[in-house]
Amino acid sequence: MYNLFRFFVTYHVFLLFLGLEGFCIYLIYKNNHYNQVAYIHTANNVSGRLYSAYTGITDYLYLRSTNDSLVEENARLREQLIDSKYDNRIDTGAVSDSSKKYVQNYTYIAAEVIRNSLNRPVNYIYLNKGSKHGIKKQMGVICSNGIVGQVVSVTENYSAVMSVLSKDFKVSARFLKNDYFGNISWDGNSTTHVDLEQIAKHVPVKVGDTLVTSGYSQLFPKNVMVGTVSKVEAEPEKNMLDVRVKLSTSFGNVSYVYVVNNIRKSELIVLDTVINLQSPKQ
Amino acid sequence: MIAQIPINLLRFVLLLAAQVLVFSNINFSTFVNPYIFPLFVLLLPFEMPRLLLMIVGMLAGLSLDLFLGSTGMHAAAGLALGYFRPFFINIITPKGTEFEISPNVYAQGLTWFVIYCGVATFLYLLCYFIVEEVLFRNFFIVILKVLFSTIVSVLFMILFVYLFSNRKKKRFA
Repeated sequence: MYNLFRFFVTYHVFLLFLGLEGFCIYLIYKNNHYNQVAYIHTANNVSGRLYSAYTGITDYLYLRSTNDSLVEENARLREQLIDSKYDNRIDTGAVSDSSKKYVQNYTYIAAEVIRNSLNRPVNYIYLNKGSKHGIKKQMGVICSNGIVGQVVSVTENYSAVMSVLSKDFKVSARFLKNDYFGNISWDGNSTTHVDLEQIAKHVPVKVGDTLVTSGYSQLFPKNVMVGTVSKVEAEPEKNMLDVRVKLSTSFGNVSYVYVVNNIRKSELIVLDTVINLQSPKQ
Repeated sequence: MIAQIPINLLRFVLLLAAQVLVFSNINFSTFVNPYIFPLFVLLLPFEMPRLLLMIVGMLAGLSLDLFLGSTGMHAAAGLALGYFRPFFINIITPKGTEFEISPNVYAQGLTWFVIYCGVATFLYLLCYFIVEEVLFRNFFIVILKVLFSTIVSVLFMILFVYLFSNRKKKRFA
């Protein structure tokens, strides 16, 4: 007993070190699992305000490039207006009820990036809009150049987005020219490139091919730009191609984004649960 | 000892702001992540008991975590830094050296300081990145990250101590 007591006295610093280190590791496992809900709730007021103020200053540095990309996007959107299209149909009477034929499927909530990281295994982007503005968990996020990520955590005024540059992030992408699709995944090292998985060898892939979102996941609308193929390799021992994709979004300077609100998502989720209930348990 | 509290608090705020607002925004490459913040623990007074060093190191790490969204990771690394600091001060300091109250680049000399910061930052970042890459998918990548980040961090730290150190305390040995 005395020896045990003496052991504790002699090594109390080391034992405390181990104890506190254990506490830290407990904190890490508790708070860093998938999303940082706990973190964003506790630190939101302090760090959220600080980052908002900081962004207010740094915004000026990126005004020019932000402007350029917004102007480009405006031009693209203008092209899509009915007014800038020539009605090429011969039988125009049949589809005159265009107001009923098209109903809104996606709405967009514009938000500003207040914090961004690139160099961690899972990268988060913080936005200055939250539940108050209609943002919910699991919504997709895009910017004028391409896809950005997925909302993982929301508070009243802020939200956290897991960016495409995250090891756990998966999204399906489709070749614009021939509709073959595969999964986008990040290797954890490059901030500009991702890998496209599950493209079979018979698929004709060339450097420079354009990839867009498939619309299969409920995150993003169809045909949002993902990137272009920068390298294709066919290894003899594999069935699949190694495709390297250059992202169209430059994550280093995303400053304005759109949160995608899929109005019909709840219907799709109902469908999913019905299928899951009906399918035999394995 | 009490007189050292205000200067260390000031340094804490300054380093935290610099880390959060500047250095954590340097997205140069995934392999280079400069961390200047450990310098706070490194510049605490020599005579601080190890127990206090550990606790201050952990709390400092926790406050950085609060801003960087990495709850516990910097706390774990800061705690380890506080615990091991007295060891490597003993190892790298020649016997019979006179000490100032806290480590000072003018008093201890540049060589001593670079080794001190280098070893300590290496340890700190090793702790941090090992925890961050929890799944430990690639040990080689972790080591590369630690190495490159250490080199860049130490460069910034040396700049910082030259900017903010008290020149009057020059030691005439």
